Amino acid sequence: MAAILIGFVIGIPWLGALILWRTNDENPRLQHTLAVAFSIAAGFSSLALIFFSSAQTAVDIPMGAFFGSLTFTPDGLAVSLTAIACVIGSLAVVFSVDYMKGEAQLSRYYTFVLLFIGAMAGLVLSGSLLFMFFFWEITALCSYALISFYNDDPKAVAGGIKALIITQVGGVGLLAGALITYSTLGTYQVSDLLESAGTIPANVLAFIAFGFLIAAAAKSAQFPFHTWLPDAMEAPTPISALIHAATMVNAGVYLLARFYPAFVQVPGWALSVTIVGLVSALITAFMALTATDLKRALAYSTVSQLGYMVYAIGVGGFFASQFHLLSHAVFKALLFLAAGAVIHAAGTRDMRRMGALGKQMPFVRNVFVLGALALAGLPILSGFWSKELILEVGLADGPIWAYVGMLLGAGMTAFYTLRITWLVFFGEARESLHVHDAGFAMKVSLGLLAAGTLSTWLLAGSFSGLFHATLPFHSIHELSTLELTEEIFFAPATYIALTVVCLGLGIFWMVRKQAAARKEAQFDILSRESFGFDWLNRQVTSITFKFASVLQETQTGKLNWNVVGILGALLVVLVFLLWSA
Amino acid sequence: MNFDPLNAVLIGVVLLLAVGFYGLLITRNLIKIVLVLQVLVKAVVIALVLAGKDSGNLGLGQSIAATVIVADTVVAVVALALAVQVRIRIGTLDLSKISSLRG
Amino acid sequence: MTLTIFPWMIALPLGASPLVYLAGRLGWHRVELNGRSWLVRGLALLALALTWIPFALSWGQFAAQGERLFFNFETIGLQADGLSLLLAAVTLGLGTVVVLFSGPYMAGEVGEEKYYAMLLAMIGLIIGLGCANDLFNFWMWFEAMAVSSYLLVAFYREQSASLEAGIKYLVQSAVGSVFVLLGVALVLGATGTLAMDKIRLATNGFTSTHSGLALAGAFFVIGFGVKVALVPLHTWLPDAHSQAPSGISAMLSGVVIEAGLIAMLRALSTLGMLSVSWGTLLLGFGALNMLFGNLMALKQVHLKRMLAYSSLSHIGYILLGIGVALTSGQLAGAQGAAFHVFTHMIMKGLAFLTVGAFMFALLYQKGSHRSLVIEDLAGAAHKYPLAALALSIALLALGGLPPLAGFMSKWQIFVAGFQSGDGWVMGLVIFAALNSVLSLGYYAPVVNMLYRQKMGDVVQQGEAIPMTMNIPLAVLALAIVAIGLWPSIMSWLTEPAGQAILFIFGK
Repeated sequence: MAAILIGFVIGIPWLGALILWRTNDENPRLQHTLAVAFSIAAGFSSLALIFFSSAQTAVDIPMGAFFGSLTFTPDGLAVSLTAIACVIGSLAVVFSVDYMKGEAQLSRYYTFVLLFIGAMAGLVLSGSLLFMFFFWEITALCSYALISFYNDDPKAVAGGIKALIITQVGGVGLLAGALITYSTLGTYQVSDLLESAGTIPANVLAFIAFGFLIAAAAKSAQFPFHTWLPDAMEAPTPISALIHAATMVNAGVYLLARFYPAFVQVPGWALSVTIVGLVSALITAFMALTATDLKRALAYSTVSQLGYMVYAIGVGGFFASQFHLLSHAVFKALLFLAAGAVIHAAGTRDMRRMGALGKQMPFVRNVFVLGALALAGLPILSGFWSKELILEVGLADGPIWAYVGMLLGAGMTAFYTLRITWLVFFGEARESLHVHDAGFAMKVSLGLLAAGTLSTWLLAGSFSGLFHATLPFHSIHELSTLELTEEIFFAPATYIALTVVCLGLGIFWMVRKQAAARKEAQFDILSRESFGFDWLNRQVTSITFKFASVLQETQTGKLNWNVVGILGALLVVLVFLLWSA
Repeated sequence: MNFDPLNAVLIGVVLLLAVGFYGLLITRNLIKIVLVLQVLVKAVVIALVLAGKDSGNLGLGQSIAATVIVADTVVAVVALALAVQVRIRIGTLDLSKISSLRG
Repeated sequence: MTLTIFPWMIALPLGASPLVYLAGRLGWHRVELNGRSWLVRGLALLALALTWIPFALSWGQFAAQGERLFFNFETIGLQADGLSLLLAAVTLGLGTVVVLFSGPYMAGEVGEEKYYAMLLAMIGLIIGLGCANDLFNFWMWFEAMAVSSYLLVAFYREQSASLEAGIKYLVQSAVGSVFVLLGVALVLGATGTLAMDKIRLATNGFTSTHSGLALAGAFFVIGFGVKVALVPLHTWLPDAHSQAPSGISAMLSGVVIEAGLIAMLRALSTLGMLSVSWGTLLLGFGALNMLFGNLMALKQVHLKRMLAYSSLSHIGYILLGIGVALTSGQLAGAQGAAFHVFTHMIMKGLAFLTVGAFMFALLYQKGSHRSLVIEDLAGAAHKYPLAALALSIALLALGGLPPLAGFMSKWQIFVAGFQSGDGWVMGLVIFAALNSVLSLGYYAPVVNMLYRQKMGDVVQQGEAIPMTMNIPLAVLALAIVAIGLWPSIMSWLTEPAGQAILFIFGK
């Protein structure tokens, strides 16, 4: 049964993608209907799959020499992430029915959304490193195609290629790790790597571990690869919600979580993970403080929250990180989709032009506030529980300076979250934008996500039970939701964090007049340049192109020079032979 | 040191090759390039006969040499035919002017 | 062994070539059906279709026998091993598709019959090249193949750019061929024989490095290297591949340079005692080719020229696989290289043919013979959905994205690199992977251009692409996806080829 459901969660969206590719853009009703039907079918399959989760490999197809076996293992980690991908995916598709109304090329849009949902499910379910990489690359391709969806806009094209190149460069780390695993163990199976990590020589294991860390950092837009995600915001907003907030960017965190038991013994690995998480969380929270573009502000916040998850893995809080991943996926999808409703209505992403929109779109305001409170980490919303859990683990097991840093980050999160909400929905109207509340399809998906934001933390107990039962290498303690809430209520870390959060909110309340002002703060330039890393990206690109221009000079088109090339090469070969003899 | 007459042939081959490659580097005229290529091939033909003689298999060397001459004539004919077309269409045989394809 | 069939793979296309030419000259091409001359093309297609029969039979024989097949006619010896059959399959496969595709593309060109005659001859000669087992015969096949390709490159003889490309290609190839002959002379001088097996026996006796043979090897590397387009011997390739008729560009990129590579390997293999040096040398050229090809392609605006430079980088990947096989005896490397030869044939063949289809629909039908630039394709997907999809698949496969064929063949080469356990080689594999990423920097924008929402003027005025062109495109695109999803369906072909490479180098 598990095998059939795995076939469904990957096969249904892919079949849908194939069919939608062939549909005619003249008939958008059919396209919307088909996309919604296929994604919801995948969503229900993924929910059903949770009940069939096990540590056993459910599908095993040998692919011939050098390619290992194509295996799928529906363990707790895999099925929960599959459910996130498919369910939030289907909600994003439902939202798109309103958001993408009247857009051209819907067949291309839905094809890549469905292709992405299937590939994401394949990525997390795959028990083979080769096919993990295979799906990993397909998700990158879909992300690229959708960021560049409005491909008459040069900014969208540039953002797409930037995301593609940066995540692919990081992907080389995963490729190298998978190849090293195969050449030392003779297998691509994830379970074999986890089981025999101890038998791999320490330095070889370190290569795998750090290779995976690079891949994870690039995919999750962590420091120093954090530059691509803000530029990816050129995508249609449902895509930002689905791919660049709720699912694909989680793949990096997933990778670290999946292999944590194998790599924790590598000296320096856990500390590096902690630092990557800390630095990402802090600098992007800082960038979010002054951002003026609604979607970019949310993107910075995504990187920052992913930093929390990465940090949690670094300090050993596997469960805390996955719990936060679940909460974040839901409330960030909610925030993005609500932001999408605002952008759709207002026709701009510039928060400086908004203000007091709450009166005109009360539904969107209400759900956005809910999501914002969860993001800020206020009780009793899902974000509160998971963030407190991370900070608690950090205080108990991690270095104290990292904990202080993350605490500071929590304060900044509260500050920018309130700032965004204030600028968009409250205060005074800075421009008279004629907006309307969300449409029906939008309300359905926003409402469901809001319900999730209120309630997913109740699942914490069964979540930990699922992990405990199906992840033999991770040694998870089973805790009931009640035990978990008690633990958080009686932990001092909770009250320290809440104080900091309130401090952040209070500081914003005092400076709210200045925050709404149009003039740019001085450190804004620092943020827009991603702390100099955007400059670095541009330098690498321009050096590559300059080098290419220099090389072009070698193609003179003159026959005599071509013969010089031949004789020169002969000389080099002869010198090589003399040297090697 | 007694001098093997075969070495004189070898020196001749090397000289011919040197002339040929030098010609390829400095010649601008397409017809002359074809001539220079012929010089190179003639050097090779002698080298093949020499190699046959050297290894005690002169017959093989000679037959190969003869075949090379035939095959190379075909190449020369094609080259000259192209050169004629170049002269007609581009209007020059100067290689430095036949360089529209670059970069 | 009862009957030797494999020489028919060579004889059929070679024999059909003059017949096709005659049929054309006698005016039969004016026999029309539905307003199209079909006889010349039909004959060519028939000849190729028939050639598949001896191919299938000899493959069956080879598989049953498990070792090389031999054929001797007077002093000319032929053999068929895994490598020969790989080359035959690649050549016949792409050749058939190209002939199908060329129907409308070449219709009405002056000298259409010459085109098909030369194409058939080239196909026969390449298959023959793969089967030669004597160094000199080998050169003969090679030279004959080269002559047929010069004429095809300069086919549009009323265009100055084609002539320029043709003459450069000819002169540089001729220089290469001089080097090959010098190498042959050196081997003959040192061993007294030219039969490859006998040379191998003779050179096994040399315990230390024989300077004459080492020099011969250097000459082989350079001589064949011109055809393989090792950087910096590559200067003819971007000109020739971009100026030839598109079907020929596909053959040149997909088959001819690989045939040169196989020729180089066969020649070098006779000097087996230096195989580690050759392997290292090829790894070096591989790295150079990858980087150079990608950087040059990055700035191209002409599509065919961009694809030509991308061939340079793909030769780099193949060399990487072969280099690993020679330095550390990895079957994965040899088989991966063979696999990449095959997938590159499909991917690059498809890319060139699709670009050809666009040139046909957008330019030729309008009477223009200029070359297609990337900008011309803006929004082409609206009007030509199939061709745009095919080109996207081909380009993304070349960039090594799953689930397409190029990903799997590169992966296999990379596996070999890591299995070798050599730190330098592993570094090279990572370099190769980064190069794949770099290559997306020029493939992805083309795909983007195809799916632009606004149609460009050129596309708006374009004519339809005929069905006979679309079918070959669809077949190749399907093959790319199928191999990408199930890579081992090609191992029947690539594994014997990989083993043959290791065998001839005595690994």
